[in-house]
This record gives sequence, structure tokens and C-alpha cells, in this order.
Amino acid sequence: MNVKSLQSHHTHYASLGSPWSAKADKVQSITGILLGCFLLAHLHFESSILLGKKAFYHVVQFLEGGMFSSTGHGFPMVTKLFSIFILIVVMLHALVALRRFPAQLGQWRALRRHMSGINHKDSHAWFWQLVTGFILFFLAPVHIFTMITNPEIGPHLSAERVYHANAWLLYALLLPAVVIHAMIGLYRVAVKWGLTANRAGLRKVAKVLIVYLISIGLLSLISYILIGRELSLPITPFVP
Amino acid sequence: MSQGRTLTFNIFRYDPQEPGDKPKMVKYQIEEAPGMTVFIALNMLREKQDPSLQFDFVCRAGICGSCAMVINGFPTLACRTLTSKYPKAEITLMPLPGFELIGDLSVNTGKFMRELAERLKLWLHPKADEVDIHRIEAPMAPEEAAKLYELERCVECGVCVSACATKQMRDTFVGAVGMMKIARFELDSRDTRSVEDFYHVIGNQDGVFGCMTLLGCQDNCPKDLPHMQQIAYLRRKMATALV
Ligand code: HEM
Ligand code: SF4
Ligand code: FES
Repeated sequence: MNVKSLQSHHTHYASLGSPWSAKADKVQSITGILLGCFLLAHLHFESSILLGKKAFYHVVQFLEGGMFSSTGHGFPMVTKLFSIFILIVVMLHALVALRRFPAQLGQWRALRRHMSGINHKDSHAWFWQLVTGFILFFLAPVHIFTMITNPEIGPHLSAERVYHANAWLLYALLLPAVVIHAMIGLYRVAVKWGLTANRAGLRKVAKVLIVYLISIGLLSLISYILIGRELSLPITPFVP
Repeated sequence: MSQGRTLTFNIFRYDPQEPGDKPKMVKYQIEEAPGMTVFIALNMLREKQDPSLQFDFVCRAGICGSCAMVINGFPTLACRTLTSKYPKAEITLMPLPGFELIGDLSVNTGKFMRELAERLKLWLHPKADEVDIHRIEAPMAPEEAAKLYELERCVECGVCVSACATKQMRDTFVGAVGMMKIARFELDSRDTRSVEDFYHVIGNQDGVFGCMTLLGCQDNCPKDLPHMQQIAYLRRKMATALV
């Protein structure tokens, strides 16, 4: 083979790679990290009810910018605006996640066949991320819309929503789904981009966080239900 | 410890060439011998019990990559798997999924690997002036040679393809073996292809951005190639290629 014919072999590729592929992958990870970190913070703030009504009240009025309001109660508008922001992030995230869903029946069957034939932990973890992602597709917007339309939060206001408006049912389903999805997701982002070489350690952290977050979430949910049962309608907002 | 055990093999049997044949699992029993591998057991079965049993092997030493199959749920090389690994003395053998079935445990990985190499152009694209057989090749730095050698260890067994659920769901996905080889040429200073060139080969849903990081490749590759690191490297490289 002469030099010319070898040369003619290279650099003539069909334009298969689209810059959008790289962008979508980055958007997937960035929105995932944003949502995952937000979830970690959110569940802790929300669980401050475990330390008492006063603790939760102060957390809320601090996050709603209480120090800038004359009454010290903060502005529910902050919750509203932040919820709109989160909704946009979730929509972006879901949009790029659609690439990953086994959209055709054949793909779903291939996945199930693979899982039954091949014994592999991380593939099973991904499967649960997929299932919980699908559940979140429906449940997360319900929760976020509620916070946009009724952004009032407080020990009594939230307990009323949980107990009297029956939001507990939504939260009981949303909590395990979002925690499992987000923690496996954060683990995956780290291994996907090579942010860590200690995969086993990271997997353990993810497992511990799943158990921990579901525990504090469930305990605080029970607290809200107990508080809600004590309240008579119409409720008066808690003031310390 | 394992001497004297009776092993029970559950083996997938199906001959696509035979009209009317249906896929089925067939049970075989065999006395275990010291140091027995699944590959040795299969040969004994074929010799003494069923000459029609189809499976592949060449080297018996984990070098040729032809004896890969799914052993009790794990895709791996039969010639490197000791039967003593299985305390229950039960071994289920399936052909590697995702490849054309030749018969029983034999699959056509060769055809797949050849098509992949042609599609991804998995050969060195040297600088024009370096292709001169009358001249001594330019030496390569030992560190670079060691790096390339590490990635060259792939025996094309197909395990990573079978272990990957992404690949099973998406037939056109290049899989870990394809990306491993692309990474090998990307690192090679003699190769003239630029990052952009590689982007046009694997910068899409069939390439590195289609990988969902399930890591079946990393966890099953019998040569312990660093798939996780390599794919993450390519992902970072490709993610910054066209910005
Ligand atoms: C609302 C809270 C959510 C959080 C905290 C969250 C978090 C994450 C994280 C951290 C990842 C890993 C990103 C990556 O692999 O680059 C991820 C991936 C994923 N998310 Fe979400 N997500 C949320 C909502 C959703 C929703 C609503 C859907 C449904 C459409 C979804 C579907 C997916 C899918 C399918 C993946 C897998 C992508 C892949 O394997 O590459 N997520 N998510
Ligand atoms: S990368 Fe590993 S598993 Fe994949 S074909 Fe090569 S040796 Fe086999
Ligand atoms: S026979 Fe060659 S790798 Fe097993």
C-alpha cells in the first residue's frame, strides 16, 4: 500500500457527532447535581421540625429572608420564586433524561432480559434510578406546583397541609423515590466523569445517605401528622 | 476439598442451523477433578457424554478470548474459571448475549469485532511522512508505550459487550471495547486524528454520551482493563472538544 492510499483513509468522517450530545450530557449532570444538593439541604431544613416547632419556625423565617422584613416573618414570595427556579431545573433535567428511557418495548425487554441473565449490582441500581425517575416525573411537579401556588410554610401551616389537606400521601411516595433517585444519581455523576477513584467508598456513602434521609424524612412527616391532628380548623399560624 | 464432588451443569442448548430445534437447558453431571476449570469440564462433557455440544476455545490460558460465556450470571472466560469457585457444585452456562449465536455456547464475536473496527477505524492513522518502510521508526517514550500497552491487553472476548445493559438496549452503541480502542489511538502520539475527528466517531448517543455508566464492563472484563477511568477520560475529552 502506498502513502497516498493510506492518507486518503483518515479524517474523512461522516458528521456523526453533534455538539448537542455533549451539551445534553453536561446539562444532565449539572441539573442532577443541583437537584441532589438541593434535596440534601431541603430534607434537613424540613426535618428541623424534629427539634420542635420553634426550630422549624426560625429555619423558615431565616430562609424566607425574615431579617429583611419588618415583621420578622419573612416573605413567602421567596419560596414561590425559588420553587419556580427548581421547577425549571427539574424540567430541564427531565428533558435530557428522556434520552435514557427505554422508549421502545424492545428496549425494555432487553433491559429486563439482561437483568435476569446477568448478575450486576450497578445495573440494578440504574434500573431503580430509572423507575424512581419515572415516578418523579409525575410526583415532583405536583409538589413543586403546590409550593408555587401556596408557598406559605410554618409549623402549623405545613402541618395543616400534611394532615388536613392530605399531602402526607404525596410525601410518603415522593420521599423514597426522590432520595433513592438522587443518591444513586450523585454516585453515578461522580463515577461517570471520573471525579473519584474510590467507587466502593462512594457506593457505601450513597447507601448510608439513602437510609439516613428516608429516616429523617419519615420521622418529620410523622411529626407533621401529629401536629396536624392537634390543630383545629381554621388554623392560626404558629408564632413563637 | 473439591475432590470427589459431582458437578451439575445446566447448559443452554440450541442449534439455529437445525430446523425445528428449540432453545432449552440440558443438565449434565460430571465428577470434579482437582484444578478443574469450566473449560476442562466442557471438554470432558463433549468427549464422554455429548459430542454435539458446541463451544469455543483456542488457548486455554485467557489469551485468545474465544471461550467467554455467562457462568452463573457472570460473563467471563471459561478457561480461567475454576469449578471449585462454586460451593453448591451447580454451574449454569449461557452463551454471551448480544452476539450472533453459532450454536449452544458458541457466539460470533469475531464478526462483531471486525465490524466495530471498520466502523470506528480502529487502526493507526500515521503521519504521511512516517510511512516509509526504509526508515527506522521514531522511538516512543517508555511511559507512553506502557500506557498504550495497558489498553492493548484487550483480548476481544466480548464480555464487556454482554455485561452492558446499555449495549443490550441500544444495538448501535459502540460498547466498552470500542471506546477502549478509541482511547488507545487517542493516546498514541503517532496517530494524526484530532479530538474533533474522534468526536465525530464517538461524540454521540452511540458513543461516549450514550454510556449510562452502569459499569458492567469494568466489573466483568477478564483482563481488568480500566474501563471506568477510560470512559470518564473520553467523556471529559469529548465534552470539551467542540466548545
Ligand atoms: C426532582 C428531583 C431529582 C433529582 C434530585 C435528580 C437527580 C439526578 C441525578 C444526580 C442524576 C445523575 C445525573 C447524571 O447521570 O449525569 C439523575 C439522573 C437521572 N434522572 Fe434525575 N433527578 C430528579 C428528578 C428527575 C425526574 C423528574 C426524572 C424524570 C424524568 C429524572 C430522570 C432521571 C434519569 C432517567 C436519570 C439517569 C440518567 C443517566 O443514566 O445518565 N430525574 N437524576
Ligand atoms: S475490554 Fe475486556 S471484556 Fe471487553 S472485549 Fe476486551 S478483554 Fe473482553
Ligand atoms: S480459551 Fe483462550 S481465552 Fe479461554
